[in-house]
Amino acid sequence: MIRILLTSAATALTLSHAALASDGPLVTAEWLEQNLDAEGISVIEVSVNPGVYERGHIPGATNVVWHTDLVDPVRRDIASGERIQELLRAAGVNEDTTVILYGDTNNWFAAWGAWVLDVYGVQNVKLLDGGRKLWEAEGRALDTAAPAHPEGAITVADADATKRAFIADVVAASEGGSADIIDIRSADEFSGKIIAPEGFKETAIRAGHVTGAINVPWGQAVQEDGRFKSPEALKALYAEAGVDGSRPIITYCRIGERSSHTWFALSKILGYDVRNYDGSWTEYGNAVGVPVTNVAGLVWTGQ
Amino acid sequence: MTTRNAFAAALLAALFCSIFLLLPQRDALGRPLPLSFLLGGAFGVVLQRGRFCFWCNWRDLLEGRGSNGVAAILIALMVGSLGYAAIYGAWLPNPSSGRLPPDAHIGPASLTLALGAAAFGLGMALSGSCISAHLYRLGEGSAGSVISLAGALLGFGLGFVSWNTLYLWDVQSSRPVWFPASIGHGGWLAVQLAALAALLSWAMRGWQSAPAASPWEAVFRRRWPAPVSGILTGLIATIAYLRVGPLGVTAELGSIARTTGTWAGLLPEGLMGLDGLAGCATVVKEAILSRNGVFVAGLVLASFASARLAGDWAPTLPPRAAIPRLLIGGVLMGWGAMVGLGCTVGVILSGTMAGSLSGPIFAAACIAGATGGWLVMRRL
Repeated sequence: MIRILLTSAATALTLSHAALASDGPLVTAEWLEQNLDAEGISVIEVSVNPGVYERGHIPGATNVVWHTDLVDPVRRDIASGERIQELLRAAGVNEDTTVILYGDTNNWFAAWGAWVLDVYGVQNVKLLDGGRKLWEAEGRALDTAAPAHPEGAITVADADATKRAFIADVVAASEGGSADIIDIRSADEFSGKIIAPEGFKETAIRAGHVTGAINVPWGQAVQEDGRFKSPEALKALYAEAGVDGSRPIITYCRIGERSSHTWFALSKILGYDVRNYDGSWTEYGNAVGVPVTNVAGLVWTGQ
Repeated sequence: MTTRNAFAAALLAALFCSIFLLLPQRDALGRPLPLSFLLGGAFGVVLQRGRFCFWCNWRDLLEGRGSNGVAAILIALMVGSLGYAAIYGAWLPNPSSGRLPPDAHIGPASLTLALGAAAFGLGMALSGSCISAHLYRLGEGSAGSVISLAGALLGFGLGFVSWNTLYLWDVQSSRPVWFPASIGHGGWLAVQLAALAALLSWAMRGWQSAPAASPWEAVFRRRWPAPVSGILTGLIATIAYLRVGPLGVTAELGSIARTTGTWAGLLPEGLMGLDGLAGCATVVKEAILSRNGVFVAGLVLASFASARLAGDWAPTLPPRAAIPRLLIGGVLMGWGAMVGLGCTVGVILSGTMAGSLSGPIFAAACIAGATGGWLVMRRL
C-alpha cells in the first residue's frame, strides 16, 4: 500500500514537473528523457546529414529530411501545407500534441522545422535545447528502429505570410526602416570580405549585407554546450545591438536555416514580432537593384 | 612460428591498440573513428588469413585450382544481404516510400559503371590483385603493390578529369535501382539468396578440401576455409553499415588524389553531381582523419600483423619487366573505381548486399574485363 502511495506520489510529481518543464518553448534533454513515453508528445528529428537519424535517434522520434520533406524540391519554397500535414500525421501528431523538434548541426534545421510549422499555424512546437549534440554528449539512450505511430489527425492552417519575409519586405524595411533587419552570418560575410564560407557552392554574385542590417552571428545566442542563453542574456545581447523588440524584426542568413535559429530565440523565447527571410543572401545577393552595403569591398569577378 | 615473427606481430598489435585508444571518438559526421579502425583491422585479418582476393579467387577458378575463394565471396554476399535486410527492416520498414536507405552504396546503374568495372577488372588482371588485395599485400611485404596503388592514385586523377564528360553524357540520366523498392524487403531477399545459392552450388563443384591441420595451424598458418572468411566478411560488412558506413576501400585513396590534384590545379574545380551520388564518394579532404582513412590504415596494419604471425611476411621486389604492367593495372583500377564510384569491395560487396543493381553490374563487367585480360596475357 505504502509503495502504491509512494509510486502515485512520484507519478504526480513527475507529471507536474513535466507540465512545468514543457511550458516554455524549449525542453531540456533530461525532461525529454523522462517524458518520452508521455501521452501527447511527438518527437521529430530534423537532421541534415544522411544516416544520422538511422544510426541512432531519440527513442520514438520520427525522421524528417530537410532537403526533401521541409522544402519544395522543385521550386524554391517551403514545403506545401499538404506535405507538412502528411508528415505530421505520419508522426502521430494531433491538434493537441506537443511537437518536440531536434536535430544535428546545432538544431539549425530543426529550428527551420519549427519556423515552417509556425507558418502553418501548428501550436505547441518546441525545440530540444542543445539538440542532438547535447543529447549525445550527455550519453543519453539512442534507438535505431523506425517507430510506427498511429496516424495523427492534425489539420494545418493555410500558410501565414506574416511569419515569413519576402524580398520585397526586406527591401521595404531596408529603405523605409519599418523593421530591424538582423544578419546572423559571420562577420566576414556581413562585411563583404567573403561571399560565402569556404566550401559552399550555392553562393551569390554580390558580397556584403542588406543596407541597414545589423550583424549578430547566430552563435552568440547559444552557450558552449549548444543550449540557448538565458532569456535575460538574449535580451541583453540583442538590445546591445539595438534590437529591443519594439519594432518588427526580420532575420536572414545564407539559405534561411541558421536565421531560423535566431528567429526561434527572438520570437519564441523573447516573444518579439519576427519574420524569417528564407530567401536570404542566396536570393538577395543575386537580386537586381536592391540596396546592398559592402564595407570590405570584395568585387565578384566570376572566380 | 619464429620468435622474430611473434615479436614483430606483438609489436604491431601493440601499435594497433595504441592507435585505437588515441583516435578521436568521432568524425565530423559523428561516426565513431575507433570502431572504423577496428573494423578495418578485422577486415584486414580476414582478407589476409582468408586470401580473400577477388582476382586470385577468380583466377583460381579459371585455372582449375579450386573454387573455394569464389565460394567465400558468394557466402559473404549472402550473409551481408541478410545483415543489410535486418538493418533495413529497422531503418526503412516501408521500402516503397521513395526514400533510399541512407549511405547505402546504391549508385546509378549506368553504362559508365559498366565501363569503369570492366577497366577495373582488366586492371586487376594486369596488376595481379584488386585494390583491397593490394592493400593487404602491403602487409605481406609486396613492393609491387606499392607501384599498383600509386598507379591507382594516378588513375583516380584521370577519372576526375574524365568525370564531367561522362556525367553529362551518361551518369546524369541514369537512376539508381534498389530492388526492395519494387519487390519489397522479403521479395528482394528471397530472390537474392536464391540467385546467390544457385551460383554457390555451381561454384561448389570445383571445391577443394584442405588437408587436416592442428587447430593452431588452421587458425594461424593455413588459409582460412571459405565459409569462415565469407561469414566473417558478411558480419563485418553488416556491423560497418550499422555503425559507421558501408565497406569500401577507395574513398580515402580517391580523396587523396582529388585533394592533391585540386591543390596542384590539375583537376576541374567542380566535379558535377559527384558529391550527391551514393558510393565511395571522393570528397576533397577537410580533416586529416576520415572514417575511410582509419579503416584502410587499420586494414593494412592488421594484415601486416597477421602476415607476420602466419609467416607470410616476405618482402619481395617485382622484376623490372613487371613494373609497367603493375603500374598500368593500377591506373586502370583507379580510373574504374573513380568513375564506377567504388571497387570490388565498395560496389560488388556493399552494393550487392544493399540490394542495388549497381553491384551485379559491376561484378559482371569486372569479371568480363578480368577474364579478357587473363586471356590476352596467356597468349603473350
